[in-house]
Amino acid sequence: MSIAIKIENLTKIYHLPKKRKVTGLFNFNLEIEEGEIFGLLGPNGSGKTTLLKTILGLIFPTRGKVEIFGKEIGDIGVKRKIGFLPENPYYYEYLTGPELLDFYGDIFELPKRTKKKRSDELLSRVGLAELKHLALRNYSKGMLERIGLACALINDPKLLILDEPTTGLDPIGGRETRDLLLKLKEQGKTILLSSHFLSEVEKICDRIGILDQGNLLAIGRLKELLKEKKTETFEDLFIKIIKEK
Amino acid sequence: MYKPLIIAKNSFKELLRKKGLQALLVFSLILIGSSRLFSFLTPGEELKMIKDVGLSTIEFFGTLICIFAAIEAISSEIERKTLHTLLVKPLRRRDFVIGKFLGLSLNTLLNFSLMAIFFLVLLLFKEHTVSVGIFKALILIFFELLLISAIALAVSTFTSPAFSMVFSLFLYFVGHLINYGQTLLENVKNVYLVSLANFFYRIIPNFENFNIRDKVAVDIFVKWNYVAKTTGYGLIYVAVALLIGIYFFQKREI
Repeated sequence: MSIAIKIENLTKIYHLPKKRKVTGLFNFNLEIEEGEIFGLLGPNGSGKTTLLKTILGLIFPTRGKVEIFGKEIGDIGVKRKIGFLPENPYYYEYLTGPELLDFYGDIFELPKRTKKKRSDELLSRVGLAELKHLALRNYSKGMLERIGLACALINDPKLLILDEPTTGLDPIGGRETRDLLLKLKEQGKTILLSSHFLSEVEKICDRIGILDQGNLLAIGRLKELLKEKKTETFEDLFIKIIKEK
Repeated sequence: MYKPLIIAKNSFKELLRKKGLQALLVFSLILIGSSRLFSFLTPGEELKMIKDVGLSTIEFFGTLICIFAAIEAISSEIERKTLHTLLVKPLRRRDFVIGKFLGLSLNTLLNFSLMAIFFLVLLLFKEHTVSVGIFKALILIFFELLLISAIALAVSTFTSPAFSMVFSLFLYFVGHLINYGQTLLENVKNVYLVSLANFFYRIIPNFENFNIRDKVAVDIFVKWNYVAKTTGYGLIYVAVALLIGIYFFQKREI
């Protein structure tokens, strides 16, 4: 199995006013294999978003390196293979769903026919096909989350990075999203998601990583971690690892 | 489609919906329209007043529109985090900045054209003809506005919206007063102060170069050669401002 994401000795230090420093990530190492769903867990401020932003090239490492499919994130070719759903996505509110997908499709330089076909498919997949003429300003939080997922998939990515993908969704929407992610995994996609919902991670992730204060505290398959830490539930395991630190 | 054009199209669409910019445009049109009312201040010089007020209004309100639009173009993308979804896609940061500038230029062209057409119609009603000098003045104002857009955009790639606005306006006023500054320096004896002032004189764009209003208002002839040279001067500064903007934006953490 080849490696989709390889992170080596990644350190991210934020420089604040008055020469103060905050360490977002410290000597972080991680490898995510192609085709797996990897769940990133941690309390608020643990470094999850810093990690995702560094992987995506939105912020830059202080030390260490990140490779995606063997190449650095600055490589435009690599970006063609990535789909990203941010937490609480916000898009250009005057556009409709199809217009938004068309805009992102243009950035990926998709041929017109492919773009239209994918756009129609994705809108149906996320349950927004009936609302084609509705501007995004009229979307609910859950609908924005769903159009965000469609945008993340417009380029048929090999790697999908999702930051809290089910935050604004109702139980049905959450279930549909989980089913969609499992289907994408069947198609060979690699998925990296960060989430606060332990039950969601438990249901779909092959491996998990728990981080706090910029350090990776535990990594592995859930069953193995439960056995190793002698805990019965995922919640107990999570709390034990964070407290043991 | 060339990627900066995709960004430009989207940015232009977005700017068209900004109520603040629309309000500035309406206010400028009211001011241009009311320029005839100012003529009571200078009896017998109604035409000069219309030209002067009209061109000054186009320049000043055009400047405000450009600065607000430029700041909005970058800061709103950062604040609303739409930039997160864009920069993770195969879009180079430099293409984003160039695209934003092209979108701003389109917006500038639209606002400038509406103000200029209204002004020209007003002049035609009064004079039944429009001198070539007016078109020369308008051309120079348009390139001045492009330069202001590029500066405001460049500054907003690495600072807060409030600082960008203050700095851009400051540069605009300093750029217009630069000739006075040079005259004042003639009486200064301190060598260091003179060197420093000369340094700034060389790097700050001289916006007065774009100002031929006073000449045009009293029908003094301005050569096309001067218009072409000043346009070139403006474009060089636009390129420099964009390069600075690209440099800082490539280093900016989002």
